[in-house]
Amino acid sequence: MQSDIQPNVASAANAPRVSAELQHQIEQHYYTEARMLQNGQFREWLDQLVAPDIHYWLPVYEQRFRRDKRPAPTPDDAAIYNDDFSMLKMRVDRLYTGQVWMEDPPARIRYSISNVEAYHTDEPGELQVFSNFTIQRHRRQTEHYTHTGGREDLLRQDGTTFRLARRKIDLDARVVQDKNLYFFA
Amino acid sequence: MVDIDKLVKDDGSEQSREIFWNQDLYNLEIERIFGRCWLFLTHESLIPKHGDFVSARMAEEEIIVCRQKDDSVRAFVNSCTHRGNQVCHAESGNTRAFVCNYHGWAYGTDGALVDIPLEQRCHAQVDKKECGLPQVRVESYRGFLYGCFDADAPSLEEYLGEFGWFLDTWMIGAGNGAELLGPPSKSILDCNWKVPAENFVGDAYHVGWTHAAALEVMGGELAELAGNRADMPFDDLGKQFTTRHGHGFGVIHNAATSIHTDRAAYDQFMADQLPKVTKNLGQERANLFNGHWNCTLFPNNSFLYGTNTFKVWHPRGPHQIEVWTWTLVHKDMDPELRKKIQKGAAFSFGTAGTLEADDGENMMTCTYSNRGALTRRGTLQSTMGMNHEGPHPDYPGIVGASFIGETSYRGFYRFYKEILKAEKWDAVRAKDDSWDSTFENRDFWVNNLNTA
Repeated sequence: MQSDIQPNVASAANAPRVSAELQHQIEQHYYTEARMLQNGQFREWLDQLVAPDIHYWLPVYEQRFRRDKRPAPTPDDAAIYNDDFSMLKMRVDRLYTGQVWMEDPPARIRYSISNVEAYHTDEPGELQVFSNFTIQRHRRQTEHYTHTGGREDLLRQDGTTFRLARRKIDLDARVVQDKNLYFFA
Repeated sequence: MVDIDKLVKDDGSEQSREIFWNQDLYNLEIERIFGRCWLFLTHESLIPKHGDFVSARMAEEEIIVCRQKDDSVRAFVNSCTHRGNQVCHAESGNTRAFVCNYHGWAYGTDGALVDIPLEQRCHAQVDKKECGLPQVRVESYRGFLYGCFDADAPSLEEYLGEFGWFLDTWMIGAGNGAELLGPPSKSILDCNWKVPAENFVGDAYHVGWTHAAALEVMGGELAELAGNRADMPFDDLGKQFTTRHGHGFGVIHNAATSIHTDRAAYDQFMADQLPKVTKNLGQERANLFNGHWNCTLFPNNSFLYGTNTFKVWHPRGPHQIEVWTWTLVHKDMDPELRKKIQKGAAFSFGTAGTLEADDGENMMTCTYSNRGALTRRGTLQSTMGMNHEGPHPDYPGIVGASFIGETSYRGFYRFYKEILKAEKWDAVRAKDDSWDSTFENRDFWVNNLNTA
């Protein structure tokens, strides 16, 4: 799979890995992000951890023959998420209207983030970070959905913390095994 | 045994809850509805060149749709005639042959069996001419390709009937028509296929309540509906339509682009097209061109014109569907606008859409509440707007007075019952002139328009 078009991001093959200390900070940052999303602190997530120039992208991957040379999807193609900040904000605001009936009573969601690999890019303070996720959603009495996939992030150092400037989400399932994907991976 | 007369009222205004649960009825639906009606396959623009193919679905049947040398399109069953293995696992591509993974039997782009490996040495007793992949009828309406298993079924154009007249509003009304952007997003939803089909055919009623949160945040004309708070004169805001074979839709006037949040370019495009529609098709359809349409093409192809989402609900047994979603665009839109529309359509009605996310649970529990055998003894109602509907001087089919009504629900279930009961298509054809008699108030529009 090709990665997002990110001219500022060095390829992982020859980019320098971050230090053990920075690696630790990034992992802790992801755990904090996951906890915020688990707790339904979507506004805090958007305000504190997301950059105003965010591109938040979950492309649609069609299953094609290996010999098929058509390029991988770009942000101009079909996608499930293809959001800028204003779109993410509408998604978040919707959750605070008190009128999202299917979240009342609320569902439970739990994130496991792993395989964190972080690299410096040509742009000082910007890091390319790969990670994997397993997301478990429990709804109503017995509904249970599991989503697995990978993320490719561009994190921007912001003082002692980080802001998310790009997130490309590769969902493993072709046919989504859930009634919607309205959660932030 | 299934007694259809006990399941649906003739006028479509009441259904037994059994229709959302019963396995025997589902089996009959597969045979008599999905086995005999025209089902959406793909759009011609997605397979432009010889050898281009897509994997499609007709209810639970796996189908290959492939562009031929002479530019025609064929559709055939995606299952080897030797031992039944699926012969193509890619969703789209270009190929010279479909080769089965099991023993290597090879089929041409027309579905004909062209090669049996080791044929002579294995003493194969196969007449290759007889063992092509079974062909399915395929016809195009304005570039939209549909397939049908029944040789006796009417042509696609006849099957669409007056609904085609309406579709022409945006399929040919302005310039070069409409097409789809793929690949489709796909998801599983645990509901009966009729729940989303009936929702799209005629449920503007749920918009203000189910989608209150999204409408409030996204704004636009429909935001006034949020929470059912608005005191609006519904009868002036839109209409519902139902046609011969159950296809139907609701229109909200002058609201085509209202669900898009980034819509200036789209509004400009629509304004530029409108005079052409008036010139080409006349005022009646020009009035519809700027409306937002929620539609179901019977049985399981639903779309929102204006919001640009185009879906098929593939049944997977009585309690589950697979949802396939494309983006519907006008061919004349420039590439920038198409991208914007595709983004906007995914934002509202894609798999993570702000409105899509509201519907899934309703559709699931509308199905699963009927799991209880005692609950299932009950019936469900779609009576809203009865008698506020009838034949209209300007439009074909039956026209309901308000976009919030259930005229097109009744039209959907009226035909659902008719086709389930019909032994053959001839029994349906016999009622071509009398099908709409269940809509009893024949003078509704004459009286209504005279008063106005």
